[in-house]
Amino acid sequence: MNSELLIGEAAKDSAEHTDIHLPFGLLGFERIKNYSLIPAPRAAPFSWLQMAGDPSLAFLVISPDEVLPTYFPEISEEDVDYLDLTNPDDAGILNIVTLHPGGSATVNLKGPIVYNRNTLIGKQVVLLNATEYALKYSLPLAP
Amino acid sequence: MLILSRKINESIIIDGRIVVKIVRVDGEIVKVGIEAPSDVPVHRQEVYDEIQRANKEALTRAGQPLPKLQPCKNSAKVLQPN
Repeated sequence: MNSELLIGEAAKDSAEHTDIHLPFGLLGFERIKNYSLIPAPRAAPFSWLQMAGDPSLAFLVISPDEVLPTYFPEISEEDVDYLDLTNPDDAGILNIVTLHPGGSATVNLKGPIVYNRNTLIGKQVVLLNATEYALKYSLPLAP
Repeated sequence: MLILSRKINESIIIDGRIVVKIVRVDGEIVKVGIEAPSDVPVHRQEVYDEIQRANKEALTRAGQPLPKLQPCKNSAKVLQPN
């Protein structure tokens, strides 16, 4: 069984696309505002956040619930208003995963993407309690 | 770079819509108040820079083989490759 997974396969295999609009883009990618969120069918619970304009480029993302049950992101009043989050269940949270050469993986807990599940508008926010969390939190790998 | 001298409680206005006010000076620490419309993101530069770098490092190209990772949902939080 091939243990590798290609982005293209993820897109092809999954009918579940959620189009997410990030009016500010991601930090460093401010001009790219439209993404598709695609569950990675053979690498659950990871998902792909694929650039709409260039589907060959994507970020690997994960829900923080799968990583750190004690994650309590504090989001500024401004961001809550901007995203029109009226109750906590409205907020979807995605943390960006980095795959490093050598096979290790880390996840960014300081600057998650927060989106409104109803409007599908999101923003990469810097948490008010960002100092409590790592930019490169190691995803432990089994030996 | 434009350099202006300001006293406490004096402000700078940028583009007629962004107000930067010197709130307090305490030794080496300067407290700055910023009023900007909601379409203007404001970040501490070092935080912006590190997240930007992390995003660029995280960007993945299609066709690149990836390990199959499977984080555990339980408290052990162990990833088991299949």
